[in-house]
Amino acid sequence: MLRPEEMTRAVVVGSIDSLDSTIESLYELGILHLIDFTEQDEEFKLGQPLGKASGASQSLLKLRSMIRSLNLEEHKPSEKVPVKSIETKLEQALVTLDMNASTKAESRQRIQSLIREKESEIRALEPVSAFDIPLELYEGYGSIAALAGVCRTDPSGALASRLRDYDLSVRARKADYAVALFARAEEASEASRVLTEHGFQETKLPKLTGVPAAIIKRHRAEIADLEKDLERTEKDLETIRHEFADFIIASEEHLSIEVMKAETPLRIATTANSFVIDGWIPTARARDLQAALNTMCCGLAFVETLPTERGDDPPVLLKNAKPVKPFEFFIDLVSTPKYDEIDPTIVLFLTFPLFFGFMMGDLGFGLAVASLGAFMRLRLKSYPDLQKLGTIILAGGIMASLFGLFVFAEAFGVPFHPPEAHPDEHSWESVAYIPIHPLLDKMTDIKEMLALSLLAGWVHLTLGFVMGFVNQIHHNRKHAFGKVAWLLILLGLFIEIMSIAGHATGTSGFVNDALLAWVPDVGTSIAGINASIPAVALIIVGIIGLSLTEGPMALSEVIGLFTNLVSYTRLAALAVGKGAMALAFNTMLFPLIFESHNIGMIIAGALALFVTQMFFVFFLGALSAGIQAIRLNYVEFFLKFFEGGGTEFSPLKYLRKYSAATK
Amino acid sequence: MDPTQVGLAMIGAGIAIGVAGLGTGIAQGQVGAAAVGATAENPKMFGKGMILMVLPETIVILGFVVAFLIMNA
Repeated sequence: MLRPEEMTRAVVVGSIDSLDSTIESLYELGILHLIDFTEQDEEFKLGQPLGKASGASQSLLKLRSMIRSLNLEEHKPSEKVPVKSIETKLEQALVTLDMNASTKAESRQRIQSLIREKESEIRALEPVSAFDIPLELYEGYGSIAALAGVCRTDPSGALASRLRDYDLSVRARKADYAVALFARAEEASEASRVLTEHGFQETKLPKLTGVPAAIIKRHRAEIADLEKDLERTEKDLETIRHEFADFIIASEEHLSIEVMKAETPLRIATTANSFVIDGWIPTARARDLQAALNTMCCGLAFVETLPTERGDDPPVLLKNAKPVKPFEFFIDLVSTPKYDEIDPTIVLFLTFPLFFGFMMGDLGFGLAVASLGAFMRLRLKSYPDLQKLGTIILAGGIMASLFGLFVFAEAFGVPFHPPEAHPDEHSWESVAYIPIHPLLDKMTDIKEMLALSLLAGWVHLTLGFVMGFVNQIHHNRKHAFGKVAWLLILLGLFIEIMSIAGHATGTSGFVNDALLAWVPDVGTSIAGINASIPAVALIIVGIIGLSLTEGPMALSEVIGLFTNLVSYTRLAALAVGKGAMALAFNTMLFPLIFESHNIGMIIAGALALFVTQMFFVFFLGALSAGIQAIRLNYVEFFLKFFEGGGTEFSPLKYLRKYSAATK
Repeated sequence: MDPTQVGLAMIGAGIAIGVAGLGTGIAQGQVGAAAVGATAENPKMFGKGMILMVLPETIVILGFVVAFLIMNA
């Protein structure tokens, strides 16, 4: 919580003979984040790939080409293949597959390209197929030009009037005219001009002999034969695929892991007789590393842990309690925090559902969103990111239901009880009496909700500046005190806003009487606006502090801080806006459903209601409330302290999905 | 207050937030398009893009404050 997992610099040293087993045990353990070795010198060189590397990568290459030719990219094996069986069968299987699959795949490709060729020839011959002129007669003249193709309009009339001597064949087709024209060579340019005026498109005839219609007929028969061949080849391939698919995918995974291990020496330093692996491990597991090396490397490799030095940049592994963990998704989306920075996940865990719930604030929509989230969490196991998002949505949905139940007392945009001002409005009273009355009414308590939003904003921003102070205090005192100046300005702005609001709302009354009771109530009037003197004093002190610590340029951001604070009123605005729209749709559609007494109307109304409800749940609710809730965190909150740019902790390890390790 | 004056004040509040919203919309549209492009090329730009994207929102928030002050005056 708040801090990432503590890291220790670990250097593994050993005899070069034990490099293989050391790498093996590091991958098995999966806790060492390797620092790539780059500075070669006379003593230390980059390591050589392990012996098995070249053989494994060749087999891997073959397997991958087979995956492509057998279309196995999307195949997911139904059960795991044990590594032992992969290792014993692989060589034999590769030979068999090479003989069958590769040749079959090649012949399939040949047949396919032949079919394509024939088809394109048929397409080219189509325009002249109506004429009984053999193809060889279209070329090889000295004094005659031959033009074959299609025209958009019939060119016969124009040709008759503009050419002296020619031979024309025209056949009307569905949308155009097939044309074959033989003209004198000296009139060729005039002929093609006439044809162009009629939208002529010349056809490039294939170099074949015979009458086009006969050729086409022959080609069609050949294509039919080829397709039969293709079908047979496909069937053979399908048999191979059926037999070997699981094995191929599992072997590909196994060999990828082997190659990855075998190439690891390329990232570490070695001398003639020893190796040095430099990296980071979680401090809590430092002992495990030595223990694992002792058992697997027969005491030929040793671990030395070093204290962290200034300027080190340890990798970051966020450490949060299980319920908070999914919210790391939001952090990953922006940037990994630096190692010595505060990890704000816990604040997201608290504020996101709260903001989301307040904006959504409806029992019915909340439960719908929560069930969507629960579905994503339980069903999308193979997509970890979506699963995390599902958990977040679930938390938001539950919070929205709680707000809907206890604060706003409404479900599906319909209140539990009609508001006092409009006793005849539709409400759940006509279905059941629910003994919960709203604490806030979205239509009448708008000011109250605005004040609540501002209070939430003040708390959230204050937390942001406090975190900024903590982040900076060990780095740069000046910046840290800059955060204090910002805190003073923020407090001044908040006092000023609350003193203007006075006791107009319950929230501002509570804030003035309880939270800010220590602030002396002295005011004056500046330009017609009541100004609280303590507030103005705080702002001035803050501004002076700011220009001393952050420089005068920072002053231009003071107005930005004000907009940050006011920005939180979107909480109230979205809640009210959503409530008002739901009310409008329900007011329009309920009379249709309950009072029309016409079955068609009732069905149409119910459908329309269903569609609008869906719109609220998924579009307005999940999208806009979700986006606004995360935006308040990203923009208003994060900018006060978060820098990011840390290195993500990615230890040497592998994941077997389709192959199972055997001891 | 004279109903005409109240009406004019209401119109003023409407203009304040409406035009401010329009301005924000135009600015955010352009920034947003560029931000989406940048994110598509390099997903790590998401954070920066998001922050640049919401900068113009200041305009509409100030519009909201002015409208609010007019309504309560």
